[in-house]
Amino acid sequence: MFGFLRFVTFSVTRGLQGLRRNGLMTLAAISTMLLMLLLLAGFWLVQAGLAAGVQYVEQKVEIVADLHDVAGAEGSLTVQAVALAADVAALPSVRSVAYVSKEEALARFRERLRQRGQVDLTGFLDRNPLPASLEVKLVDPREYQPIVQLLQDRSRVVDDVVEVQKLVQQLTTVTGVLRTGGFVLLVLVGFVVLFIIVNTIRLAVVARREEIEVMRLVGASDAFIRWPFIFEGAFVGLLGAAAALAVLAVASGPVTDFMYGFFRILPLEFGSLQRDVVLLVVGTGLGVGVLGSWLSVRSYLTR
Amino acid sequence: MTTPTLLRPAAALDPSPDHAAAGTSGAARPVVELRGVGKVYPNGKSALHDVDLSLGEGEFVFLVGPSGAGKSTVLKLLIRDELPTSGEVILDGRDLARVPRRKVPELRRKIGIVFQDFKLLPARSVRENVAFALEVTGTPRGRIRPAVDRALAVVGLGAQADQLPPTLSGGEQQRTAIARALVHEPRLIIADEPTGNLDPLISWEIIQLLLRINELGVTILMATHNAGVVTALRRRVVALEEGRVVRDEVGGYHRDD
Repeated sequence: MFGFLRFVTFSVTRGLQGLRRNGLMTLAAISTMLLMLLLLAGFWLVQAGLAAGVQYVEQKVEIVADLHDVAGAEGSLTVQAVALAADVAALPSVRSVAYVSKEEALARFRERLRQRGQVDLTGFLDRNPLPASLEVKLVDPREYQPIVQLLQDRSRVVDDVVEVQKLVQQLTTVTGVLRTGGFVLLVLVGFVVLFIIVNTIRLAVVARREEIEVMRLVGASDAFIRWPFIFEGAFVGLLGAAAALAVLAVASGPVTDFMYGFFRILPLEFGSLQRDVVLLVVGTGLGVGVLGSWLSVRSYLTR
Repeated sequence: MTTPTLLRPAAALDPSPDHAAAGTSGAARPVVELRGVGKVYPNGKSALHDVDLSLGEGEFVFLVGPSGAGKSTVLKLLIRDELPTSGEVILDGRDLARVPRRKVPELRRKIGIVFQDFKLLPARSVRENVAFALEVTGTPRGRIRPAVDRALAVVGLGAQADQLPPTLSGGEQQRTAIARALVHEPRLIIADEPTGNLDPLISWEIIQLLLRINELGVTILMATHNAGVVTALRRRVVALEEGRVVRDEVGGYHRDD
């Protein structure tokens, strides 16, 4: 028990000593770690933003069927439209059908104009140019074809079917490629981090190969040789992670603005994203630091 | 630890006080034995052929021979830095080839090693260099200080304890290395050309120190080219040539000395 405590104290102390004695090397390792972790966190954030964006759009997916204006029945729900809505709602893949009257459509249009700060000129129109419509939400956004077909067949009632879904599908394809590509890049960046850190720590190990040689000659066990370096690597990883988190904290305001500006929405809960990023940065820093040290020292022990 | 050491009262050290002059046989139980040892390195270079060698408790033995004769290989085999291709290396009754890798560190603590180039850590003081050997083997802190003080007293470096190796003379550096080799209270000290970097006068100081340590009961195997020292001391000399033992007797550096 005391032996173990002594061993841990020895390893931690010597790990810290190593950090101090190789100041420049430590600085190089921590800076590398910092840059790589920032890159990683950046990738992660863009990924999360993209994913949330796609999810948001997918949720909004619907099929809109513009209806013919019916003379004399302006604004009111026609029998045919009710029948159509009932038919569509009866399909198993449909979640809901909503009727949007001409007035409602105009009101929405005016609201949009107001939000964008554009001048509302609709007051000058002699009649409402917007059609009434049916908005169909789907259970599974991918099964839109039969509903579109059904709507198009009722051409006496339906003027035009706007396939929002088609747009979404194209978007999904693009984001899918981005997501896969982003993941591959993420893995590649991870390997680059590991490679650079292994090399940096290896330099630190090589700088102290005499010390390692003496340790072996006086009968130090492998653990006593290895663990100070592991702790040193862990400290480098943690310091790099702390620096990266500090930079991210300072940058979080602009980053949030950017993400909102770019993706139009805040991804999921921002809190859980923050937690994920902290875990990712600290975990990667620690893991890469420890693994790098382990790999670097290994070649000096296998004899 | 049950081994007799220099750090105990001299009377308790050794049952046969005249061992140092005992000569060739190594009458007591052997500390080290090589039986029919051959060594071929992975690159195909053949270093040793059928070497037999036995070091008795408390002996002082010179290992001589031209460069490349296999002296370093013998020393490496003894600290299990290398394993023999054939034959057996037995240390303290144990066949080194059968010692599992993780037990090797324990084994090395029983052997003190001294090199031509000292192998001191330049950024650590004399005291820290000696203490290092104990720290890295998990010795309790309370036992380190007294052990280091004793070892430094044996080599006569108490006054220089807080200096850094680069500020010391070559002789003082080698004495630091010897103190480090002693601090584990070994039964065997292996010295590889310990005087190779030192001028003749300082070389004699180092030899005197090793002799004193030997008188305290520690077995010493010293590889050297220093003909003057070997010839003057008239101890057991093992000569290697092209990987074979060509001579093993009390005498000088050369056969005719």
